[in-house]
Amino acid sequence: MTDSPATEPETTRAEAADAGHGRPWTQPIWLGRAVALAAAIALLVYPLVTDDLYYQNMIILSLVFAIGASGLNIISGFAGYISLGQGAFIGLGGYTIGVLAARNPDVTIWWWVPVAGLVAALVALVLGLVSLRSSGPAFVIITVAFLFLVQVFAVNWVSVTNGTAGLTMPLPDWDRDIINLPFYYALAAVLALQLLMTWWIRRTKLGMGLIAIREDETKAATIGINLPVEKIIAFMASAVFVGMAGAVYGYYLTFIDPRGMFSILISVQLVLSMLIGGKATLWGPVLGAFLIEPLNEIANNSFGGGNARLFLFGGLLVVVVIFLPRGILPAIESALSWRRTRNKAGLVGARIGTGGSLASLTDRVQVVDRTEVPDRPLLEVTGLVKHFGGVKAVDGASLVVPEGSITGLIGPNGSGKTTLFNLIDDTIRADAGEIVLDGERIDGMRSWQRAHRGLGRTFQITRLFREMTVLENVVAAQPSFSMRGLGKIAVSGSEARAAEELLEFVGMRDFRDQRAQALSYGQQKLVELAQILMLDPKLILLDEPAGGINPVLIDRMGEMIRELNSYGKTFLIVEHNMPFVLGLCDPVHVLGRGRTMASGTAEEIKNDPAVIDAYLGEDFHIEEARR
Amino acid sequence: MTVFLQSLVLGLLLGGVYALAASGLTLIFGVMKVINIAHGAFLVLASFITYTLWDVVGIDPLLAIVITTPVVFAIGWATYKVVVSPIRSAPMASTVLLTFGLALVLEGAMGEIWGNNSTAIRPAYADESFTLGGIFLPKAQVYGGLIAVAVLVVLWVVLTRTWLGRAIRAAASNPSSAQLVGIRTASVAALVFAIGIAAAGAGGAITGVLYPFVPGSHYQWIARLLAIVVLGGLGSLNGAVLGAILFGLAETFTSTYVSPSWATAVPYAIVFAVLLIRPQGLLGTRLREDAVAA
Repeated sequence: MTDSPATEPETTRAEAADAGHGRPWTQPIWLGRAVALAAAIALLVYPLVTDDLYYQNMIILSLVFAIGASGLNIISGFAGYISLGQGAFIGLGGYTIGVLAARNPDVTIWWWVPVAGLVAALVALVLGLVSLRSSGPAFVIITVAFLFLVQVFAVNWVSVTNGTAGLTMPLPDWDRDIINLPFYYALAAVLALQLLMTWWIRRTKLGMGLIAIREDETKAATIGINLPVEKIIAFMASAVFVGMAGAVYGYYLTFIDPRGMFSILISVQLVLSMLIGGKATLWGPVLGAFLIEPLNEIANNSFGGGNARLFLFGGLLVVVVIFLPRGILPAIESALSWRRTRNKAGLVGARIGTGGSLASLTDRVQVVDRTEVPDRPLLEVTGLVKHFGGVKAVDGASLVVPEGSITGLIGPNGSGKTTLFNLIDDTIRADAGEIVLDGERIDGMRSWQRAHRGLGRTFQITRLFREMTVLENVVAAQPSFSMRGLGKIAVSGSEARAAEELLEFVGMRDFRDQRAQALSYGQQKLVELAQILMLDPKLILLDEPAGGINPVLIDRMGEMIRELNSYGKTFLIVEHNMPFVLGLCDPVHVLGRGRTMASGTAEEIKNDPAVIDAYLGEDFHIEEARR
Repeated sequence: MTVFLQSLVLGLLLGGVYALAASGLTLIFGVMKVINIAHGAFLVLASFITYTLWDVVGIDPLLAIVITTPVVFAIGWATYKVVVSPIRSAPMASTVLLTFGLALVLEGAMGEIWGNNSTAIRPAYADESFTLGGIFLPKAQVYGGLIAVAVLVVLWVVLTRTWLGRAIRAAASNPSSAQLVGIRTASVAALVFAIGIAAAGAGGAITGVLYPFVPGSHYQWIARLLAIVVLGGLGSLNGAVLGAILFGLAETFTSTYVSPSWATAVPYAIVFAVLLIRPQGLLGTRLREDAVAA
């Protein structure tokens, strides 16, 4: 569970008891907690029992890197945005305290530590805003550019930073016997705060959203996750305590200069610490920092620094990326879980349940009276256009989905059906055209806003969050957004129940604790359906629900769609399986060359000469007669 | 006006050298979706090898390209086989970290071998200039720029006019289909990586004559090269050439008219601006993300 946001105690306990065969104290989680507690006590007591300055110095530096790596973990471990600019926040913290202390000699220096945290968070906010549109390697490049740019400013803005000559801080004014202790305990306190925040984020909706962003950002948006807000919060959270640690570090060094404070090697050491210990774990980055910093000291003291540090960091980075990509703690955990689960049959091949009717599982749905459904369009698309370079993928498509209907959308391959879906849910932004959902223009809105207004969509090639369990995948959907909502527990009891009902409905309840990546394609389709049902959407877009699954499952899929429709859900379905579409859908729209070429009932479409010519083919009726 | 013309010509010549150095970076990205952060380190390595050939053996540094380039090609090939190929399927961010680690190791190795002092290659013509209607053009810059353009043309011909070039482009656009029609994509990838590194090597032999260098110069180089390929559009060779020329001009004019110390900020500012305004670069195309087979 290192990677997963916490579930509410009842489920955790149930899982734990199951995993440890009823001997709770030997379970990994308790073992881990005991080790962490012992390490924390040792850390706090150490400077009281010995006054060895060499090791105190080493621990102080390790604490700085532990805070930096834990901060990095939020944006890189949870949200998956690898940053090589994290060291800049340590430098910014150091410079904040250095500059402010020099200008305000009467103020106690410690007051500038929280200010440094604030400065770091504000800079992170700006960096976050600037880099919102970039991801993957482009993001790494931006962070490196950011670090060097800050360094260039520290060098050239001489009036504030004193340029390459650096800033000297006032010496500590306390007793020389305890010279290191205030720094030591201040950093320990900041680390505690950092870990508390990491722990809190991981068990909230925010943390779950960040992990969803890491796994598949576009998909996360379509199930209602507010990308910019969650990413910017993550950015600020990953910097605030690091800035404070940088301030204490600067004060401890009493001298700061651009080369030392903004060295790229600091960022590399932070990334290494996080990777070696285990990204997206609570304790991994701390463990990594306490492993790497002593190595760094040895390279500095016994091998002459400079080149030896380069070999150490460069070599370790290469080795870790190739041989230990997940880090120490996850490796230990998977070894333990391998021991627990070996010789047990996997569930992956188990038969998919037949499910029951949703109404029998929950009282949240009820059959709607057909005569009371208003006769109006739920979705109205007018003149949608999307060109990729010279290719007109969607070229003025218009269609209407009446409320309460199961509307079909058919057309030859490449006619623009999936692109049309992408435009409707803003996976791709349309060049032109209007989209009206339930009387409201949504074409200017982002994916998550459309999801919050009642739009749910499955993908042709399923897109589940591979590292999450089936249950987490379903609960990850966020039907509404509020800042307070982000702080709620990731999987509440009522949400878990609702998700289980939906999983039971689609027949996947037995698989709730499997990771999504272990499921077959057909199973993933079912889970994806449950996932978007969690949004309680008014309109459900299904992209080839019957593609690539077995005939029994196709029938079941049809039944489920009909049943959901009877509860008032409206559907728009793209499908190539003609008997499936024509048996289920009314009306049916036909797309050809990016435009709507025909619309009508299944009967009308079947007999439309243009449709037969462009798509169905002359043999269609002969084959249908044979069936 | 003469100052302007001189900056223009020097900027263009510099752009040619940058284009050569950046072409390998964009080629490697285009074919294997790896951003090779060690590219600058390979460039500096080539400068050091050129230095040794000039200083110890006495070969003209610009002619030494014919030796330096194959040597760096071999190093690139070996690097691919040992370090890069094991993580081809890993996420892009991991390959960035891996090649970054590689750059650090190379920096350390160069420091061990050649020391961390500033090194300069100064052939006899280093201080000579051509004079053309009142503008001074340092000979080294002219020779370097012309050689860079010549090597680039060869590279372009190989990529567009030969079977190898077609195989490379096929492997770039769809590796599995390329394999199905009989292209050994693994060999093509190793070859592309080696060619890309060799291009950086040829560039490094030239820049070694133009600027003094230390092992740590690779940070500055990778910043420049990334700015160039990001500006031109990652993966596009034509984009890299265009980006390099614009970048050479921007840098020359900034140091002529603003100040050399702020010229170091140019690459970072460009990276920020491009990724903000037009993330796909000048000539890059945005790929559709929704329909990629899992």
